[in-house]
Amino acid sequence: MDLNYLKKLIKMLDSSNLSEIEIEEEGTKIRLSKPKQKIATQLPTQIITPYPSITNINPQPAEIKEKPEPTTSTEEFNMSKIFEVKAPMVGTFYRSPSPEAKPYVDVGSTVKEGTLLCIIEAMKLMNEIESEVGGKIVKILVENGQPVEYNQVLFYIEKP
Amino acid sequence: MFNKILIANRGEIALRIIRTCMEMGIKTVAVYSTADKNALHVRFADEAVCIGPPEPEESYLNIPRIIATAEITNAEAIHPGDGYLAENAEFAEICFDSKLVFIGPDPTMIKSTENKFLFKQHIKNIGLPVIPGSEDYIKNHKDAEQIIEQFGFPVVLKSAYGREGMGISIIHRIEDLEKAMQNLREKSQKIFGNNQIYIEKFIKGARHIGIQILGDKSGNIVHLGERDCTIQRNNKKLLEECPSPFLDITLREQMGNDAIMLAKSIKYTGAGTVEFLIDPDKNFYVTEMNTRLQAEHPITEEVFHIDIVKEQIRIANGNRLLKKKTIPTGHSIECRIFAESPDKDKLPTGTITTYHPPGGNGIRIDSSCYSGFVINPLNEPLIAKIIVIAGDRESAIKRMLRSLDEFIVEGVNTNKSIFKKILTDPKFKSYNYDTEYFETQ
Repeated sequence: MDLNYLKKLIKMLDSSNLSEIEIEEEGTKIRLSKPKQKIATQLPTQIITPYPSITNINPQPAEIKEKPEPTTSTEEFNMSKIFEVKAPMVGTFYRSPSPEAKPYVDVGSTVKEGTLLCIIEAMKLMNEIESEVGGKIVKILVENGQPVEYNQVLFYIEKP
Repeated sequence: MFNKILIANRGEIALRIIRTCMEMGIKTVAVYSTADKNALHVRFADEAVCIGPPEPEESYLNIPRIIATAEITNAEAIHPGDGYLAENAEFAEICFDSKLVFIGPDPTMIKSTENKFLFKQHIKNIGLPVIPGSEDYIKNHKDAEQIIEQFGFPVVLKSAYGREGMGISIIHRIEDLEKAMQNLREKSQKIFGNNQIYIEKFIKGARHIGIQILGDKSGNIVHLGERDCTIQRNNKKLLEECPSPFLDITLREQMGNDAIMLAKSIKYTGAGTVEFLIDPDKNFYVTEMNTRLQAEHPITEEVFHIDIVKEQIRIANGNRLLKKKTIPTGHSIECRIFAESPDKDKLPTGTITTYHPPGGNGIRIDSSCYSGFVINPLNEPLIAKIIVIAGDRESAIKRMLRSLDEFIVEGVNTNKSIFKKILTDPKFKSYNYDTEYFETQ
């Protein structure tokens, strides 16, 4: 897969009024779609380094928290019991080892210290992020494939 | 032209680059440490990404974090500013490998100038004048003594990888030699990761001049005159002026041509500065080449009516240098206002409670400060660069004195008063001083 080719496609889609492009070529199928403001890239199997989507990163972490949440329904948290898992680096956030695989954790998952939570890809390296505490995942603040900055809150873990 | 540039720096220089990008219609990405959350470069850029904690090694010097930021923001080029990674060949190489344009020279050019001793041999080999000194690194006391016998005291010990005034030791007495050699070796190992040192004759009464160079990818190289950086304290530049009162047209052209010859010998591209020392008899020596944008570049911009950062970006984009050469006019002076700790051994900290910069005709302020700005001891405590431009040197001095009077900074100590002393000193007015200005006070 030629990344530049993909990049061109993304740019094309971005500047168009289309909401979706699908291309099939020599057994490889690419579907690009544009939900609301973001572009999600759906990649064929065994692509280890999906190209990150174009997203403005907000310098104000407070505002990031206010973005719509992808997974949770209840919004009431007893913050004194919540441990915030923060991104230790800049990169692209992935919830699973590959697009087809199950997420490492979901809302409701019980985690121990050392449980693998997610991957942050930086410079084509997949960095595994482990939990520093034990507890229950009560909120996931970042969508799969979204770029994250240093110290951005990724998960809420409710301590027992 | 590039759509988006990431600026891998902070403070006034990041802001200065963002401003040029805005004028060129290029989008910008700022990177910042958690300590710089409220910094102006973060606010002025189109996008800003927090890349790490306040320690420079974890943020502004952290190559993987900066490259990862360029990747997630789709930046096409990186401007390194004037410090941090600006002269880091490895960084330039990684940018290239990551398909990002490094706005600066090729990594090979940075590498060729990194080792000051080897580059000195190169300067000598192409026939340019260098300061007499050891033909090799000094291994022991005896090697040093040979040079001392030849030239007498004082002599200068230099680290092979010295930079920004670090890695220089002036020796006045034979008793000090052994200890100074040992100290410099240890310091060099610690700062530069290399303990090789060499020795040179000390040039008495020297003036320090830098010639600004611009080279494009088609092999065209021009010089944009000189900057006089003779006023230094502890080998750090404090006040710079353009043109130098010490040069006449002939000397300027000779030095300019030598600077071009040196740049051509390594096929240099981008902005660079060839540094010289000139003795009182006007014999000049090429000392080194800086392969980055320099902090004092604004004085050249004012006199030559050019935006050097814009030229850097154009060159990196593959554009040729403009054929039309601008005609330099007037006289420009820059003063670097730093926060200073009342206790000389401590790094300055504190909050600027009042910040009121000077204004009016012929004054340019390059700063990222504001009332409420917090001085972080981990970063260079620069408050502002005051740059004045006037018709002649005398008017420029008067204008700078007025600027200093107008400039109000409260909450932290500054080095403002030192500039008033220099600018009203009859020795300064008559240009009767050398690089030892402070030592001879």
